[in-house]
Amino acid sequence: MRDIRKFDARPKLDGSWKFLDDITYEGMIYGQLLYSTCHHGIIKKIQFPKDFELNEFTIVSAKDIVGKNLVPEPEPDQPFMAEDKVSHFGQIILGIAHPSKRTLISFIKQIQIDYQELPAITDIEECLENEDNVFGREIIIDHRREIELESNWIHSHEIYYTPHQEHAYMEPQGIISIWNPADRKMFVKATCQCPYFVKHAVEAIMGKAINEAVIETSEGIGGAFGGKEDFPNVLAGITSLLAYKSGKPVKIMLDRADDFKITTNRHPSRIELHTYTDPATKKIMKLNVDYRLDAGAYQTLSPVVLSRGVLHASGGYNIPDVYIRGRLFRSNTPSNGAFRGFGVPQALAAIEAHADKIASQLNMDPYDFRKTNIFKVGNEFPSTQKITENHLEECLDRVVQKSDYRKKLQEFKEWNVAHKDKKGIGISMGYHGGGYTGNGEKILNSKIKIIIEKDAKVKIFVSSTDMGQGAHTTLAQMFFEAIKHPREKCWVQLPNTSKTPDSGPTVASRTIYIIGTMLQKFALKIKDEMGFTNLEEYVASHQSDFPREFQIKFTPDPTVSFDDNNFRGTAYKDYSWAACVSEIYYHADTYQIELKKIWNVLDIGHPVNLKIAEGQVEGGNIQAMGYALTEFFYKKDFGRMQGFTDYSIPLSLDIPEIDIEFIHTDSDVAKGLGEIPMDYPAPAIRNAFHNAAGIFINEYPLTPERIFKQISSPKNHRI
Amino acid sequence: MKINFILNKEAVSIDVDPMKRLLDVLREDFGLMGSKEGCGEGECGLCTVIYDNKPVTSCILNAIHADNKEILTAEGVAEEPLGKLLIECFDETNAVQCGICFPGFLVSSYHYLLTDGEPVLEKIKTALSGNICRCTGYKKIFESVLLACQRKKSGEA
Amino acid sequence: MKFYKPTSLPDLFRIVNDIEGKKYYLAGGTDINVQIKKDMIKDEPVIFINHLNELRGIFEVEDKIIIGCLTSFKDLLESILIKKHLPYLQKSLNAFASPLLQAMASLGGNLANGSPTADLTPPLLVLDAKLKILSRSKMRIIPLAEFYRGYKQFNLKHNELIGAIIISKQAEAGYDCFHRKIGSRKALTIAKIGLAGLKKAENGIIKDIKLAAGSLNEYPRRLIKLEEYLVGKSIDSLNFTDIEEILQKEITPISDLRSDKEYRWQVTVNLLETFLKN
Repeated sequence: MRDIRKFDARPKLDGSWKFLDDITYEGMIYGQLLYSTCHHGIIKKIQFPKDFELNEFTIVSAKDIVGKNLVPEPEPDQPFMAEDKVSHFGQIILGIAHPSKRTLISFIKQIQIDYQELPAITDIEECLENEDNVFGREIIIDHRREIELESNWIHSHEIYYTPHQEHAYMEPQGIISIWNPADRKMFVKATCQCPYFVKHAVEAIMGKAINEAVIETSEGIGGAFGGKEDFPNVLAGITSLLAYKSGKPVKIMLDRADDFKITTNRHPSRIELHTYTDPATKKIMKLNVDYRLDAGAYQTLSPVVLSRGVLHASGGYNIPDVYIRGRLFRSNTPSNGAFRGFGVPQALAAIEAHADKIASQLNMDPYDFRKTNIFKVGNEFPSTQKITENHLEECLDRVVQKSDYRKKLQEFKEWNVAHKDKKGIGISMGYHGGGYTGNGEKILNSKIKIIIEKDAKVKIFVSSTDMGQGAHTTLAQMFFEAIKHPREKCWVQLPNTSKTPDSGPTVASRTIYIIGTMLQKFALKIKDEMGFTNLEEYVASHQSDFPREFQIKFTPDPTVSFDDNNFRGTAYKDYSWAACVSEIYYHADTYQIELKKIWNVLDIGHPVNLKIAEGQVEGGNIQAMGYALTEFFYKKDFGRMQGFTDYSIPLSLDIPEIDIEFIHTDSDVAKGLGEIPMDYPAPAIRNAFHNAAGIFINEYPLTPERIFKQISSPKNHRI
Repeated sequence: MKINFILNKEAVSIDVDPMKRLLDVLREDFGLMGSKEGCGEGECGLCTVIYDNKPVTSCILNAIHADNKEILTAEGVAEEPLGKLLIECFDETNAVQCGICFPGFLVSSYHYLLTDGEPVLEKIKTALSGNICRCTGYKKIFESVLLACQRKKSGEA
Repeated sequence: MKFYKPTSLPDLFRIVNDIEGKKYYLAGGTDINVQIKKDMIKDEPVIFINHLNELRGIFEVEDKIIIGCLTSFKDLLESILIKKHLPYLQKSLNAFASPLLQAMASLGGNLANGSPTADLTPPLLVLDAKLKILSRSKMRIIPLAEFYRGYKQFNLKHNELIGAIIISKQAEAGYDCFHRKIGSRKALTIAKIGLAGLKKAENGIIKDIKLAAGSLNEYPRRLIKLEEYLVGKSIDSLNFTDIEEILQKEITPISDLRSDKEYRWQVTVNLLETFLKN
């Protein structure tokens, strides 16, 4: 748990660290995308403006694709570019390049496309209410037990809604492609999370035209949060096609408004819950979940978001009889994609609000209700996976204690009687399975390469990217701390698919948990096998053995198995646990919620680098705050948000106090951390508002407009 | 049009379209990549520079605005004693995540440290309210600037 | 894009008189450059004025404060003169965008942009600010309230320019002052509602009141009818049914990307109530 400083902090501060837009190549030209402004329709005619020299432009359409017009991963159903039909606003129709950025933008703005419009679904509610819109595979987790419903059991039924969320990484999406006809290689410089996804995409679109695509990330990746997991595949494909056709290096940097409008977002959800609770024991006996996601126009990675979502949908509760049904719904909006949390924020938005609903029906304190129903060692998840530790309950107890929850509850109750404005406090808890779901890690079969040089420098080759989360600092730290090697002699190399093996995508809170653990174990293994206490001395005395290269492969735990068809078994080998309390101030004049403080207690196992770990929690908390309070992306009849004054992410003046504590830090395992701090805070904020104002709102974000509507028409549950 | 200005303490002169964005002048004509483009509309602060002794977003200034003025970019701030102090504090607290917004934060913080420097959280929050960060949740940014203010005050720098 | 850099104020008006059709003055650039990026300004001529220092500065002339049109929000925030005579106005400036934009944006530009959401217009309206409008051969002074004629429509001829803003040094004296901007967060936000008010009461009776609203009409404006109704009323027995009825004739809140008309209406009523009763 040492606070090693990040190796890239200083060059990032003084501006010398290179992000994608800071890189230029000799003869490079600029590209942009022409995308559909029609939600669903047939392209009738594309008309270019007259006062431009058309031959100065390189233009590619689906017709120029040498390989296949299908993005290969994760679910191969999305074309790179529209052919004669568009299925959503933002679908790419042409890639266009020109030596002058200004000319290019002005040209693209004047291109006219005529569409024959077809009926389109663009409203979240319209999409998710209608079962005719279901597509893809349905998932059922059936943990029904033969329990007779008692007539006095309390039936609680609610539908919870969450909206799109925009990643709003500060660096927009971008790609540079360089075609080398001599060796028939396409070199791609990318700001991305998954270099191998990009490689497969470029090789798919280029087909026989190239021998190989080599992907290298830029030094700096300006934030990602899941947003640079799948869209870069599409962008790299089209940029490469432009480079191939023009014969020149091509750079595409998306304009902020385009990035907002056409790239992936978090899936909107509609989650309907039925519970039956025994008023005598206060225990939930039965839970039925209908979990629906708006996938957008194509499935892409929605099936995996869905599977993680349903596996977290019952929350931290021990419920004997559970039935969960998960489905994807199609709309004519850009495909929704990965976003920190990956289906779990939606799941917790429902179950953690529902817990407060049942508690209020039982006239019980939300903490006491959770204590009564929280799962314990020996209980099981609906997938039948056994609960092996009570750490979730420990997080809950600790956060309630350190936030002075009970005392505040009483104080606020008294304060609220005398004031028009209200104060509130709320709880939530959650967990996040580390790594790919089910057999995913087994299938991924991650590989790492290590070279130990003659001067005992250790070079680590992984395809895991550092997009700000500090992965390259922490991965190196896990290696050098394991064998007490000097830090300056251990570096993670810049991911490049011709040099770094496929250690899997940088997603799913798996980088430290899976790849870091592999590195740590490997360090201990060579120490043991070579029999050194000091690697530098060993290398010095065995010079003829070095440089030496090692290949390491992921070894799956043989005791872990998951039935992908029936969703039974061990969904995740290790879970991170967390509980949270939030305190809000409600302004009655303006219906605004002000978040004052948020307390987090987490079990992420061993935090490798405490400050980096805290940074993840702080950043996740604030993204969750935006999700709960201000961030909405699409407003019916007004279209999509385009910029930072439209789309309200929290800024410095909005930031609450944040308190963080990690427990069980002496664990041997460094578990997943990246996503969980985004999962659980939003329901705590929502529950605090309920505590303050006595109003249930089942939809994020809790904008003042929504609160006002709810207050002025309490019967109108849905807005 | 010929434009003369002081860039990072050095007199420079350039023949340029007066309407060219100052951000593009800095990046393309002077190779100063510390000023980044995040929105192009003055809303994110990635391109913050000190212009005429005040922090501004260079994406909504034009080359002509620079004429006869003094400009300090993140690269220039990093050479100043107070810039160095701030860099040390940001580094020490592991505040930097993706880092693309940090040259902008460095410039705004530097201006605060230079012109006020009182270690008061609310004042720091206001001084940084034009700079957006999506990674960090700001907490460690505030801590770093507070630390720098305290060190400046106690004469450590 | 034709570009002009006048050498002086007379030179500026010489240039202006020669241009037919649409043109843009470039001061701080915070707005123009956004419009250029969005292709809303294409090839119209641009006249740079930011260097014309005779249009900049804050002066005390007899019983008035005169603010040159190029004066930035930051200049006003830091001005000792403003702090001394118009502290309410100075506090209101904080609502504007962010420190980075406050440093460049000019007061004249903010008014001439004519946005219905302009942050500073409601406070300036209740302060009875006047505009000094300049052209080659003439100068005229009009109340700010008479400057706006519709959505982005101004009482301004093609060869004119807002030269300065004039406010009485006594404008705030003796008043209870009120300004609220409601946005989606605390900084860098577009106002859903902007409300400003000055109130003078004696023995619980409203003696004088000035109210102005932004984001609630096609342009920011004074709520004259409501003011007329309120003068002479007792604060303790205000009739809010009447107030709402009059207010309905004064504001036309709409639903858009940022908010809803119902919300805008109710919050305006709530804020007014709080201001009037306190």
